[in-house]
Amino acid sequence: MATISLQNYTLVITGAPYSSQAPQTALSFAKAAIAAGHTVDRVFLYGEGVHLASSLSAPPSDEHHWADQWSRFLSDNAISGVACIASALRRGLVNDSEQKRYELPANNIREPFIIAGLGEWVEGSMTSSRVLYFHGGD
Amino acid sequence: MGTLMVIDQPPYGTWAGREALDMAFSLAAFDQPVALLFTGAGVNWLRKSQETTGIGQKSVEKNLSAALIFGVEALYADATACARYGLVPDNMVTGVAMAENSAEVIRQHSHIAFAG
Repeated sequence: MATISLQNYTLVITGAPYSSQAPQTALSFAKAAIAAGHTVDRVFLYGEGVHLASSLSAPPSDEHHWADQWSRFLSDNAISGVACIASALRRGLVNDSEQKRYELPANNIREPFIIAGLGEWVEGSMTSSRVLYFHGGD
Repeated sequence: MGTLMVIDQPPYGTWAGREALDMAFSLAAFDQPVALLFTGAGVNWLRKSQETTGIGQKSVEKNLSAALIFGVEALYADATACARYGLVPDNMVTGVAMAENSAEVIRQHSHIAFAG
């Protein structure tokens, strides 16, 4: 039997839930990778992908709740989920400290996602053995 | 070696290209080798004297002109796409290397990334 070399992945999601398949595909990939013994170091949300980190998405109960499924998966597997701060602020995704900084009326980052800079993606590019991108298409 | 950020989206109408440029600047800020390849409708980024007041957006030209200063190693333009969109050296920003064979440019890099 061929030996499989184990990889550690950074996953980058740039497609939003409910307007693209990217978060679902990325979640299926992440589950399959971990089941096969690989490691997911970090999930980085960029561009439209930051909508996955919203604590305010509330799809109908007979539909998949992608933000909830992703956040559970990250917590269960102790994987870091990071939304790019510039992408997030443009699109109305803010945490407590950004709410205070910009004097906004609310914050809406779903745990365990955090907001951080592109440096997190750069670090992933430097340290993970593979970086995979899940785009929204077009 | 290094990362090649591919911009295949036009400069206005989507933020994907702008966010790809941010990714490239971010790699450069961390001293990671990075170059940009403009292809498809993305070559329109390279058009000189972009006038954007009518669409209420900032011109991307200033951001782009900072790329080489901030440490982006090269700006490549796919020659076929340039021909298709009527781009010639006279109506393009300076500092762009024309790539007759984009596949070869891609082969020269270890990481290839799109913003979206």
